[in-house]
Amino acid sequence: MAWLKAVPLAITAVLVLAPTAGAVEGTRNVFPALDAERGRLVINGATDIEAMEPLIRDFQETARDVAIDYTDYVTNDLYRDADIACRLRQPFGDILLSSSVDQLVKLANDGCAQAHVSEETRDVPAWANWRDEVFGFTFEPSVMVYHKDFVPPEDVPHTHGELTDLLRFKPDYYRGRIGTYDLRQSGIGYLLAFLDAQQASTTYGRLLESLSRAEAVLRCCNNAVLSELDSGNVYIGYNILGSYAYAASRRNDKLRIVLPRDYTLILSRGALIPVGAKRGNLAGRFLDYLLSERGQGVARQKAFFFSRDGAVPAEVDGPAKLVESGIGRPIRIGPALLAAQDRLQRSRFIDDWTNLIVNTPVRLRPN
Amino acid sequence: MMRRETSLFSRLVLRVALVLCGGAALLATAAWYYARAAADDAYDRLLLGAAIQITANMTVDAGNLGVTLPSSAFELLGLAERDRIFYRVVGPDGKTLTGYDDLDAGIDLTSARAAPVFRSAEYRNAPVRIAIVSRALSDPSFSGWAYVVMAQTTEARRALASELTTRAMILVGIMSLLALAGTVLAIRYSLLPVGKLASTLRARDPQDLTPVDVDMPRELKPFVGSINHFMGRLDERVTLLQRFIADAAHQIRTPLTALSAQVDMLDDEDLDADRKRHLERVRDRVGQLARLTNQLLSHAMVIHRSDSVRFKPVDLGDIARKAFRSAIPVTVDPDVVVSFEGCTEPVVVLGDALSLREAIVNIIDNALQHGTVQRLAVRVGRGDGRVLVEVADDGPGIPAGEWSRVTARFVSSKTGEGSMGLGFAIAAEVAVAHGGTIRFREKGEHDFAVILDLPLGKEGASWLG
Repeated sequence: MAWLKAVPLAITAVLVLAPTAGAVEGTRNVFPALDAERGRLVINGATDIEAMEPLIRDFQETARDVAIDYTDYVTNDLYRDADIACRLRQPFGDILLSSSVDQLVKLANDGCAQAHVSEETRDVPAWANWRDEVFGFTFEPSVMVYHKDFVPPEDVPHTHGELTDLLRFKPDYYRGRIGTYDLRQSGIGYLLAFLDAQQASTTYGRLLESLSRAEAVLRCCNNAVLSELDSGNVYIGYNILGSYAYAASRRNDKLRIVLPRDYTLILSRGALIPVGAKRGNLAGRFLDYLLSERGQGVARQKAFFFSRDGAVPAEVDGPAKLVESGIGRPIRIGPALLAAQDRLQRSRFIDDWTNLIVNTPVRLRPN
Repeated sequence: MMRRETSLFSRLVLRVALVLCGGAALLATAAWYYARAAADDAYDRLLLGAAIQITANMTVDAGNLGVTLPSSAFELLGLAERDRIFYRVVGPDGKTLTGYDDLDAGIDLTSARAAPVFRSAEYRNAPVRIAIVSRALSDPSFSGWAYVVMAQTTEARRALASELTTRAMILVGIMSLLALAGTVLAIRYSLLPVGKLASTLRARDPQDLTPVDVDMPRELKPFVGSINHFMGRLDERVTLLQRFIADAAHQIRTPLTALSAQVDMLDDEDLDADRKRHLERVRDRVGQLARLTNQLLSHAMVIHRSDSVRFKPVDLGDIARKAFRSAIPVTVDPDVVVSFEGCTEPVVVLGDALSLREAIVNIIDNALQHGTVQRLAVRVGRGDGRVLVEVADDGPGIPAGEWSRVTARFVSSKTGEGSMGLGFAIAAEVAVAHGGTIRFREKGEHDFAVILDLPLGKEGASWLG
């Protein structure tokens, strides 16, 4: 893939993504301006550089004098740093991109965002725009991924219930072979799990129990789970973002994608211009680009592979029209997500989850 | 300095417009307050609903207060799409369980025990509305009061309030315009009688000093009363003046007759030509004076009779004949051909015979004095509901431009010869009193003629006939 080869050229500093939470600085990439540099846009994202690079490069075609400084964070770190910067009234990047939209909504609710209104923002559907401050610029279903060599066709789960049953009936075969997010580390993992619990609480409870029995493999991020799948250590990945899954399946044709047919959560990755942005203007231009037809087109072809308007890619097992069928449930970017961001709620949810999955009683768990 | 013309209409419209503007401003303010209250009320319910949902989700588990924040509570508040939400859950020990620790508008939380408390305040540089809801926890292991402080920014409230206000303002505006238009119409309608009174007064005969009798609204009655009072006084003055003139003329007539007799008795045979001429002139002047005095008396009589005598059906042909006889003096120039042409049947008009006779006499007299050279003809005719008495002479006539003037008093066509007369004035007065006019016919194919034009008496004709 051409853009994969282009990555090393752009990377000026790479810090290894640590698998544990903590003060992890992400990787920093600088894309020099195509012409003489007249401005530098600092993007702090919780989005893999592989996905963002084609968009950034295409944006630079429209703004040749802009250099872009992109730093990749884990969602929780991005939120923490942005929150601190907002409280201290310090700048923290010119635009924030995060898959964990609930965190962006919380930031906007706390008054840490600037509004941005333009021709492009007017076309954004209401569910992907809150206060003209948080915009969803992608369309990413949460999917199940399986490795074709290890999962026989009759085992392929098509709904959340089928996955639960599979783990119930073949516990030994799949023990330690199911991969999913570690909620303690991943903001998006928490959000998806939280919304799963709301969508179908009974199914979710049973699924969680099954995952616990199956001794699910927990990883910080999408790509970590996907690389376990790639290597065949994990047979089925649960709640993986469709964009990453699709990119992985293009690299390894043994990986197959299923859109659950009972319901499929659809995440719209969020963008927010923080109040302290030094170059809010430039950030607005970048945001407009992301929302524009051109940006959406590049995203569909090279970065996120799914889109609001386009059909589901042919190789993906699922309904052709996600939203129209009622199976796709877009996550509405709005104040309802604040419930997910409540610290008590969050800690209790994660505690419960940890209790079940990690199988350690709360009182014995360190800190 | 420019003098502004005052107008009742503009005064009224201006004042009503001012009142309407003031009223509209008051209503707009009231609408704004009302809209704010309504918006607050509507959104307060959402706020309260959300807070209650959270209190309902409080649980006591092993001596610990737990609270699950239902998404539905936030979705409820999310109905105000653009508003930010802040909340704080406070346990019985006064510690913040979750939410925004600094959300505290200085409100005593215990005041919410009796009923939910609402406050408007400022939080994080934004105006917010705060609701505080309490819940009494009565678990044996854990009892006390827990509170939920729920706050929401006020964008949706303000938007709703301003929308309601705008709509109310539009309605108030429309109503004010309608009221103003209605006022304009009403004022125009109310002022109509003033115009009517003016046109009634304008249309009145200048001689008519009788009280104005028009239907007037009560407010205008004093005004009409004043006019009538003034006219009454004027009428009295005029009557007095006329009586004085009549008395004076009467007083003058006796010595004048004596003077005339004395002058006639003067023997002029001894006098030389020069003195004869002087004497002749004295005779002339005395004659004129006598005629003028007669006319004054006649005028006074005509006016007196027009006020006091009830009209009766009379035969105008008969009256004209008598007038003709008395107007043509015995001493008329034998060279002048005079003729009278009556009507075959009686022409009856409703009128005063004496006044009519006087009028016709004066017209004939005028023609003899100022017009006739060789021919004088009096004709009585009828046609189309009118009776016409026509006095024609072969004199030069009166130029058309003077016609309206000669019917006024003391004007004669032959100005400058000292022959001012009241003849036409008397005739005109009588004609008007009888609902008719004095007309003139220009000299042309026929001789110049003065025509007394009266309406034919309707009932009188059958009564006589």
